[in-house]
Amino acid sequence: MRKTSFALALLTAAVLTACGGTSPSAGDQTPKMKFSNQITFGDSLSDVGTYAVGGVAALGGGQYTINGNNTSVSPELTGKNYTTLVAAQLGLPTPCAAQTGLQGTASAGFSVPVTDHPECFNYAQGGARVTNPIGPGNKALDKPGAVSLGQMTVPVVTQIANHLKKVGGKFKGDELVIVMAGGNDALEQLGELSAAATTAGGTALIQSLVAQLAPGTANPQTGAGAIAAAAQAEALKGSAAPAIITAAITAAAQNGNTTAVANAAAIGAKAGADATAAGNAYSAAHGPDLVKNMATAGAELGVLVKNQILANGAGYVIVNNLPDVSISPSAKAQSADTQKLIAAMVDAFNSQLKAAVGGESKVLYVDLATVSHDQATNPGPYGLTNTTDTACDLTPAKNPLGSSLVCNAKNLKSGDVSHYMFADAVHPTPFEYALIARYVLEQMAVKGWL
Amino acid sequence: MNVSKNVVKLLVAAGALAVATGAAAQSKGQFTVSVGANMLKPDVTSGDISAPALPHSQGDVSKDTQPVMVINYGLTDNISIESAIGTPYKHKIYGAGAIAGTGQLGTVQALPAIALVQYRFFSPDSMVRPFVGLGVTYAMFQKERGSFGMTALTNPGAGVPTTFSIDNKWTYSGQVGLQVNVTPKWFLNASYIKTKLSTDVHFSTGQYQHMKLDPDSYILSVGYKF
Repeated sequence: MRKTSFALALLTAAVLTACGGTSPSAGDQTPKMKFSNQITFGDSLSDVGTYAVGGVAALGGGQYTINGNNTSVSPELTGKNYTTLVAAQLGLPTPCAAQTGLQGTASAGFSVPVTDHPECFNYAQGGARVTNPIGPGNKALDKPGAVSLGQMTVPVVTQIANHLKKVGGKFKGDELVIVMAGGNDALEQLGELSAAATTAGGTALIQSLVAQLAPGTANPQTGAGAIAAAAQAEALKGSAAPAIITAAITAAAQNGNTTAVANAAAIGAKAGADATAAGNAYSAAHGPDLVKNMATAGAELGVLVKNQILANGAGYVIVNNLPDVSISPSAKAQSADTQKLIAAMVDAFNSQLKAAVGGESKVLYVDLATVSHDQATNPGPYGLTNTTDTACDLTPAKNPLGSSLVCNAKNLKSGDVSHYMFADAVHPTPFEYALIARYVLEQMAVKGWL
Repeated sequence: MNVSKNVVKLLVAAGALAVATGAAAQSKGQFTVSVGANMLKPDVTSGDISAPALPHSQGDVSKDTQPVMVINYGLTDNISIESAIGTPYKHKIYGAGAIAGTGQLGTVQALPAIALVQYRFFSPDSMVRPFVGLGVTYAMFQKERGSFGMTALTNPGAGVPTTFSIDNKWTYSGQVGLQVNVTPKWFLNASYIKTKLSTDVHFSTGQYQHMKLDPDSYILSVGYKF
């Protein structure tokens, strides 16, 4: 009898556990915080289609990633950058480019009227710098004869001014403002440094050739002039070092240097070494200037956030720092010294930016530099399968711009590239953008903004 | 909260009754039922959420207290078997490790079913009878609920809310306790149960997470001998 009761009790327990709607479900999916809008200032990393017009659109591009919804190929290939994902998660309208257009070569489809879109609030533009209006891809940097893309590269300072003009000078206070810049300040300066170092190397090459070859000519003074003239003429044609060396040696021989041809290899090697040394010396001498300039740019961005965004009433400002550009394929293709320089530039920019805004209660400073660095060194937990190669096939035949701006499912490298970190030399894949979106949202949750 | 207060009241009432007579038995063939509260407190050692995630994304699980009915039957004067029934324990799940500070990310209900064999020291008429027990537990999880935050951290902006499920597990439990016979019929029961429990959390994103929950259970109840 009593045993029966006990069995009954156990049975009751079992029945109790079995009733009710017990399967997993989504729970409450409404955010506690309700933002009125998402307003974004920045560069290609936040650009949602400033240049998705004309020839770029025709090439199946428009954003700096693997373009297009290719989720049928792989669920990660959404074609969305982090601003789109964050807006969607927060229930905000899909961000659109506040300005579209291109100012490049008309025949390539890269000349499209610049149009402002009053209903759009993503001001980020590929190539944009913090305050300097000339960034990568701007028509002011065009080389004669080359196809020009003609990016507007409206800098962040002007992007903010344009927004304030549009909304009557003030933020309402309940917008989510996102700021992310600095990458183009680094890339543009590195490009300039590299060009100047190459020039210095070219000068040293000719000087070395003259110094080695002129003394053996019939009249060293005339010989020097002839050798220099021949080498410079070859250099002006845009020729590489071997052709310049050959031109100098030919000129020396013509001016009576009887050993020039026989010693060509040794002379060329020394001239090349002198040129490399001079280029490196130039880079080493001027690298610190770049670090200083990046510190200035970081400080300037900090001032913009404080004086133009916070001071005009913004209540929620996400400031993404500059990711670690030194781990990008762009940097990895360069010398160890240059990679060190890039790392120092990123650090200088971010320290100044953080010093300016890190203590502001209405600013969420998101340290993407640390996360991107960690992703490159510890990709596994992030689900990244490759952090060094580009997912896009950037060969001219496949990608006329050599940029993710026109990368899509049709010009990817073969194999599964869906979990690569980089689409091109500096821009993330949609998967990496999703990781950035998650990290931004995670930081928002910690800050109490979700 | 209210439950705890009610338990205290019950205990005080039982204490008053205790003045009456000396202790009698819980002995062979005797059936007792006690009612009280059980605080179930997971002692969490969280695994990392699998890729893609911030390295060392972990979880923590809150404690919960629910009313409990403990049913006991004496097989001999010293050996008894025990089980308990109660309402589901509602646990909150928080971000921990690399995602510490993200707050409550989900909730789950736990329904542990337990059957213990106990050894009770001293004779049935002792006023105070310590006991030890060993048993099997079936840990059942239900009503796993995600949240806006969980979706934001795992699959933002896709319009697909993240859900999760936790594997049900058979496991074992150890118990130490004390029964105080305050009258021949009424007694106070206090026991501590440690359960070894490792389980896996499966997210709809394809991620998973190993969790060692090893819950501590603290039961306080007032019983009657039939």
